[in-house]
Amino acid sequence: MAVATDQVTLQVDGVSVTVPKGTLILDAAKKLGIDIPIFCSHPKMEPVAVCRMCLIEVEKMPKLQPACAIPVAEGMVVRTLTDKVKQYQQGVLEFLLINHPLDCPICDKGGECPLQDQTFQYGPGASRYDFQKAHFDKAVPLSDKIVLDRERCILCWRCTRFTEEISGERELALIKRGVHTIIGTFNDEPAQSVYQGNWTEICPVGALTSRQYRFISRPWDLDRTPSVCPGCAMGCNIQIDSRHNKIGRFQSRENLEVDDGWLCDQGRYSFPYFQRDQEFGSPSIRRDGQLAAVSYPEAVAEAAARLQRAGSSAAGWASPGATNEELFLFQRLFRETLKSPHLDHRQQGIHETDPEDIGLPIADIERCDHVVVLGGQEVIDAAPVLHLRLHKSQRHGVAVHRVDEVKAGLAAVPAEATVVGVLATAARRADAITLQNQLVSKVKGSVRRLIVVRGPNGRGAKDLGILPHLGPGYAVLNGRAGRPRAEWPKAGIRALYIYDASPLQEFGATEAELDWLRSLDTVIVQRFKPSVLDEYAHVVLPGRAFPEKDGTMTSMEGRVQRIATGIDAAHVWDDWRILQAVANAMGAGWPYRTSESIFADLAKAVPAYAAAAPAQGRVLWGER
Amino acid sequence: MAEKKILTKDFGAPGLAHLAGYEQTGGYQAYQKALKELQPDALVEMVKKSGLRGRGGAGFGTGQKWSFLPKGVYPRYLVINADESEPGCFKDRYLLEASPHQVVEGLLIAAFAIGCNLAFIYIRGEYLPQHEALEWALAEARQAGYIGKNVLGSGFDVDVILHRGAGAYICGEETALLTSLEGYRGEPRLKPPFPAIKGLYGKPTVVNNVETVATLPHIVSNGPDWFATIGTETGKGTRLWCMSGHVNRPGNYEMEMGAPIRELIYDLGGGVWKNRKLKAFQPGGASMMVLLPQHLDVGLDFDAIQKAGSLAGAGAMVVMDETTCMVDMCRRYVEFFHHESCGKCTPCREGTFWMTNVLTRIEEGEGKAGDADLLLEMGNNIDGRSFCPLGDASTWFPRSCIKYFRDEFEQHVTEHACPFRKERVMVA
Amino acid sequence: MSALRDVLMGPIYIGKGLMTTLKHVVRPATIQYPEQQKPVPPRHRGRHILHRYADGLEKCVGCELCAVACPVGCIVVEAAENTPEHRVSPGERYAKRYEINLLRCIYCGMCEEACPYDAITMGPRYDLADDHPDKFIAVKEDLLEPLSASLRDTARPSAAPSAQKEPRKW
Repeated sequence: MAVATDQVTLQVDGVSVTVPKGTLILDAAKKLGIDIPIFCSHPKMEPVAVCRMCLIEVEKMPKLQPACAIPVAEGMVVRTLTDKVKQYQQGVLEFLLINHPLDCPICDKGGECPLQDQTFQYGPGASRYDFQKAHFDKAVPLSDKIVLDRERCILCWRCTRFTEEISGERELALIKRGVHTIIGTFNDEPAQSVYQGNWTEICPVGALTSRQYRFISRPWDLDRTPSVCPGCAMGCNIQIDSRHNKIGRFQSRENLEVDDGWLCDQGRYSFPYFQRDQEFGSPSIRRDGQLAAVSYPEAVAEAAARLQRAGSSAAGWASPGATNEELFLFQRLFRETLKSPHLDHRQQGIHETDPEDIGLPIADIERCDHVVVLGGQEVIDAAPVLHLRLHKSQRHGVAVHRVDEVKAGLAAVPAEATVVGVLATAARRADAITLQNQLVSKVKGSVRRLIVVRGPNGRGAKDLGILPHLGPGYAVLNGRAGRPRAEWPKAGIRALYIYDASPLQEFGATEAELDWLRSLDTVIVQRFKPSVLDEYAHVVLPGRAFPEKDGTMTSMEGRVQRIATGIDAAHVWDDWRILQAVANAMGAGWPYRTSESIFADLAKAVPAYAAAAPAQGRVLWGER
Repeated sequence: MAEKKILTKDFGAPGLAHLAGYEQTGGYQAYQKALKELQPDALVEMVKKSGLRGRGGAGFGTGQKWSFLPKGVYPRYLVINADESEPGCFKDRYLLEASPHQVVEGLLIAAFAIGCNLAFIYIRGEYLPQHEALEWALAEARQAGYIGKNVLGSGFDVDVILHRGAGAYICGEETALLTSLEGYRGEPRLKPPFPAIKGLYGKPTVVNNVETVATLPHIVSNGPDWFATIGTETGKGTRLWCMSGHVNRPGNYEMEMGAPIRELIYDLGGGVWKNRKLKAFQPGGASMMVLLPQHLDVGLDFDAIQKAGSLAGAGAMVVMDETTCMVDMCRRYVEFFHHESCGKCTPCREGTFWMTNVLTRIEEGEGKAGDADLLLEMGNNIDGRSFCPLGDASTWFPRSCIKYFRDEFEQHVTEHACPFRKERVMVA
Repeated sequence: MSALRDVLMGPIYIGKGLMTTLKHVVRPATIQYPEQQKPVPPRHRGRHILHRYADGLEKCVGCELCAVACPVGCIVVEAAENTPEHRVSPGERYAKRYEINLLRCIYCGMCEEACPYDAITMGPRYDLADDHPDKFIAVKEDLLEPLSASLRDTARPSAAPSAQKEPRKW
């Protein structure tokens, strides 16, 4: 009599495997490297066993069983390669293909299509179906982002289950029945979800495709570069797919700790902002009121000269879309070379910050028993993929409270709570800390917060001291603090260096600021594509877009992640190289030749970042 | 042999459909006896002992099904499956029209036995008059205090909700029925978990057929041993057989289990009509395999019919004479399944569509050599591979027809026409 | 004996062979190209042709199967969507850019085999000689079969211009 454990041993195709109780046969087989073909099964969704592709033999069970829906049992004997199974696999693929249109040449999924691949691997060589296929609407505009082809749909239910289980939006449903079943929205209204791009990734055929990517490329033409989404501070991992040195699309690159395999449409479809469609002009210096094209060394020299004249009355604004390496040099340029304390990366608000803002890692949201989202939808809007993590947590029993006021948040969490999380945007940080402190007094367990900052490297900007009152590593600058951006127009600033690294997190000057810019002696603008600020600039330094550089970014939970060069823009100077040239023109003597060497110095200056070496992983602030 | 009337014994009595008429025939005595004298557990044992098997089609032991409910888990629900949609089956309709109170009494006894305080009746949308009859009967039962709180001072609370379906055969499948009842698309669910553990709204649920519960008052009144003496070793009691097709006297007949099919068709049904010869018959409705005149002496019993190569199913005897084109029968039946397929699983959804196309072309004289074998191979990829028995069932009749009447299929192909077209009359 | 026979018959065999040669001295087999041209066989694999339907619409849908089938990767295809205002092929998709590097091409015909629409075939032209490698990039306009006379006036030309400045000889 075996001792009851939570492990089960079974045999698949003659090989033994031991897995935890509750594991599906499909996953047990996968552990042995045996891939049972599937369509409807998805690791993040409940099994439905509707496609019937994964039927295999289980000894002692008379009918073939769906591997995706049956949990293993002790001593089970599973066979996936018998003649009966193979014959059936041919049969079910033949069934799927009787009404599936012969669209492969015009279908965007071709080349990365599970139906194609499985037909080749498991299907019959030819179909015996010689009747008219069932016809449905093709190229239906489901929304402005997604094109739906109802003929191609094999009714695997992944998209409807996504909107039910993963996002909870319940936007897609099945309509009609039998062979006439189709997918659609209520009343054919345009889909509103902000997670539609995910539908195109989970759809196993070309029924749901991205309008933005329509007919752009075939998968075998694409160069794939791992990177991090530039949309917000979540830090979702992406893959940049490019062709002929132009970005074709962003795809997800599953990181279970961050995005869990999903992207939001805001981030996914943001790549046109970073497209180098045409030449974006050379470095320029304003002469006689006009911007004249010059070489990089000339522009750098002019910028350096002007900055040196301003000295400590120069101010620097860097976008939270810049990499850690760039921000580190920017900070050094101002504090060390110019001896100026006026640094900022924020827009209008003046918010405090400290390392406890990253107290709650994203993946830990699932391990809380109560989570308070202070500000409700505003937090989700700031980091849309967070909603998917919250919804997943809710499905697993975590109580998620979306509240607007601190007192509502306090009331929602009972005293018996053991693991509590508080989420808020940077604008509500003060309230979040108040709530956290009140909860600490009320509950037995731990209370941690996560502040959703702005920009893919907003956290890095704070960690590295692109702030007037804090140096790198949150070093408090008593007496040596500078003025925040909101006060610059009145603070006697004579030169302004704007490093607008990302069009998604721009300087965003107000009318009053634009007036002030006109009055300044020196405005230096470093950006990768023409911006409204060029009009006000005395020196324009064109840099690179984020897919064109190597570097690291720190996400809102303090995770340092690497971005890699996917697009070649070799004729354009790297932003860190521009910053180094400007600094060195003022005698800084920096020696950097690669972004890695900058990170090495950064990690020395901010020891918490050393733990994130080699530039992947979470920073550890430890004791301050 | 004549009918053996238990369920239909009082049919024809004046006012049977109303409470007064029903009570005059002894109605609701069994219910009161159960409430006053029997404990729920004892009632379950009684039904088990009687050997009653479900009359909905699966033939599963009723008492056994009740005993699957997990102890101590409440609430639990009873759902009466009145979604009679099997082509050829019209017995539940008959029971509901003629004596709705018998069904109500039966369901109340069942509810008491399993500790259910809220029962549902899911009635096929098309059965409007039967729905009205039930509504009336439920109202009368409420007024009489048989439904409500603390029924007759017994401490038993029960209410009944009557719900109409919306025209889907698949909702006769128990998990699809529960899903439809909950307000979702009528599609079957994965089993396990079985409804007895996780059914309606995720709670333990028993789904019973109309005829099954209509039998309960008689078992309670006369005792399980009495019931067990009727019928055969494996099929106890009587059941209603719906006879239709090429017979002189189509209709519902209540027969003792095990009575030979010959008696039903010839003695009670008056034999094949128009003095024609019997070609084939189906003992269980559109789903079931065809049987031949050589099987006439098989008993009307679950196991006997199964041994003969078909299934008793829902008790619908369809009789076919010599002018029947088996290909056309197949085509019509498969078209039915194609129309009713919920579309959830690939083999049934696409397979019934394709089979309909093939059978249509054979029937219209455009069949190809090898079409019969193509149908068999398709059947192999559907039967036992579908999500629910609808897909499986769609292949049984065609497969049995090809087995017994292959030459007819081939004749359609070689003659490029249906040989029966001039004479045949549509059966279904 | 047979050795003697060989010796005696030898000159006769040689003479027979020589006669074939001498016949061609009198009547040569040379074809005077380019005034005379030897007809190409029907399945000859020469310069590619992109075909049209009878109504003038292009057959090519820009599916890139020819490009991926090509063993040397000499085909570049970029697809785009047909719009009601600008329709190039029937259906949803057409080839916005279609280029073949005729020097890289090995004239194997795999593109023709791969094409699901019979849009590309290899035609009879083999007279492609030119004086600079850059002149061998054929774009779609170079490869498209001409419109029939009846359609020439009404059909719109495709958007992309030819890579070559001078008119093509082939």
